[in-house]
Amino acid sequence: MIVLEGIGKRYDKVGIETVHALRDMSLNLTRGELLAIVGSSGSGKSTLLNVLGLLDRPSEGTYFIDGQDVTRLSSDEQAHLRNRRFGFVFQAFRLLPRATAIENVELPLLYSERKNIDGLAKTALESVGLGDRVAHRPAELSGGQQQRVAIARALVNEPDVILADEPTGNLDAHSALEVMALFQRMNRDGRTIVLVTHDAQIAEHCQRIARIEHGRIVSNQRVAEPKDASVALDELTAAKGSAQ
Amino acid sequence: MNFTRRITESFWNLTRYPMRSSFMMLGCLVGVAALNLVVGVGSAVERRLVNTVQMYFSASSILVTSGGNPFAGGPRGDGARLTLDDIEAVAFALPSIEAWDPMQVLDAVPLKTGNASATGRVVGSSDRAERVWQRGVTRGEYFDATAVNRASRVALLGATLSRTLFKGDDPLGAEILIAGAPFRVIGLLEPVGTDIHGIDRDNEVIVPISTMLRRVMNVDSIRGAKLLVRDPAQVTQVARDIKSILREHHGLASGQTDDFTVVTPVEVLKLVANTKRILFIFLPLVAAVALLVGGIVSASLMLSSVSQRTSEIGLRRALGARTRDIALQFLLETSATTVVAGVLGTGLGIVAARLIAERLSLPPSLPWGAAMLGLLLAVMIGLAAGVVPARRAARLQPVDALR
Repeated sequence: MIVLEGIGKRYDKVGIETVHALRDMSLNLTRGELLAIVGSSGSGKSTLLNVLGLLDRPSEGTYFIDGQDVTRLSSDEQAHLRNRRFGFVFQAFRLLPRATAIENVELPLLYSERKNIDGLAKTALESVGLGDRVAHRPAELSGGQQQRVAIARALVNEPDVILADEPTGNLDAHSALEVMALFQRMNRDGRTIVLVTHDAQIAEHCQRIARIEHGRIVSNQRVAEPKDASVALDELTAAKGSAQ
Repeated sequence: MNFTRRITESFWNLTRYPMRSSFMMLGCLVGVAALNLVVGVGSAVERRLVNTVQMYFSASSILVTSGGNPFAGGPRGDGARLTLDDIEAVAFALPSIEAWDPMQVLDAVPLKTGNASATGRVVGSSDRAERVWQRGVTRGEYFDATAVNRASRVALLGATLSRTLFKGDDPLGAEILIAGAPFRVIGLLEPVGTDIHGIDRDNEVIVPISTMLRRVMNVDSIRGAKLLVRDPAQVTQVARDIKSILREHHGLASGQTDDFTVVTPVEVLKLVANTKRILFIFLPLVAAVALLVGGIVSASLMLSSVSQRTSEIGLRRALGARTRDIALQFLLETSATTVVAGVLGTGLGIVAARLIAERLSLPPSLPWGAAMLGLLLAVMIGLAAGVVPARRAARLQPVDALR
């Protein structure tokens, strides 16, 4: 579905050497995959995710979605494509602080061409277990709940691909597992998910792990037996219960 | 397109930051209100000024007043004496003078009827005042030359006094006491409103000049006189002649200053022009400063709001907003604030100008130009400080805006 060929990304800074965030990178993504991109900070993994999500333009190389070269699209055409095909989850949640949960989830619908959008945001919030928090503002929610609102926002427009940049980076272990369980469930429902993380344990929940160093993919392996986050979550809850 | 949803979302955005939105509005509102207020009052004052000048001072009139000070304010000099004889001598010597009317005035005189009392201004005039001052009677009749010769105790009553003293009863033929002396009301004066000094010219009573001098005040000097010249082109020459005759009559040596003042239409027009200049250059300048300050307050709030919201713009772009969606959102948000503020400010300014005009008994005036200008500037501030930077932020790569 997604094919990257020879993608490079340079940042030219005046007076400073050119920074190569991505070098000659090629990557295939098939429908229904759950891919983890891992690497140390500065390795280029977030840049790769931004290029995948059409948030940034590569300096060179081609990017095909379903056979269409999307690097040549205008910025507004890319915006339209993002709205239709991608859902984003960020490390810092990126919710509008003064808007309620449901207003935040509705945002992608405002820019979509879909008719009959009534009730979709509510359904999305219910699917992440926050049906009773629709009128809460981000400050009134825990970190894990805020990230679940963000996931509901990524889901609401029913995109093919969810792109998540360190989605568990700001969360405690329990909330991180909750988020991963959600991702796995979404993946089972047929969605393609790419998540960037530097946490090896989180990556083990994915079907494939691509490791990046200095802007290049150094390994790209299938995980023999991905962990099930909901099982780990149950164990954690049971352990807490017996401790009390 | 979920257009209506986006419109309502824009307005919700305003309510999410009530302080910022209201200060944005306040800046524009105060500026626009100040502009409308100042221009509104200014044009009302100008209209009153021009009306008054036209009413009292045509191109062929000359005003002679006692005392050597210019007629617009200032105390009168000592020993200032202008008499009926002086003006009679002038009128006799200069055939180009068509008509003249002497005037003596006493302010704050107690006036009484059988069951009511008031305080008013008493003016002594000749029977020619009706023509010279262009102010007649609405009912009854003006006193004639005989009444002036005999120093009759007859009075012409102004509309305000007629109301306070007679309260709906017919004043014609009734008796009033002016400073204790009985007068018969023979006419009701045409109402003229308030003059430029803020004096209600309907709160006065006119009596024959002779009666005024002998029976009311017991003096033989007059306050002044208005003279009409046959040919307006000769006004300046006639004024010069009047001066020399009066100086001779008063026995002034060549070094001594005048103990009277002669005012011609040329001088009055100069005064009007000066006043207009203040009204229409200085005052709007003050208002423009108010508008500028208000505009800067609004604009800086909008600018900082846009830069604070760059990451919000990036987020919306990431979620699928096109450049024009962002521009539309900020256009709606800023125009909602500036147009609402502009309209409220215009309303407030016009209402305040009306109230002030009413208190000063000025004619009402609607400053359309100022209202339009204020609204236009408010909208321009919104476009320049709200929409333009938002568009610029929307053109960034989403990843750069998100940072």
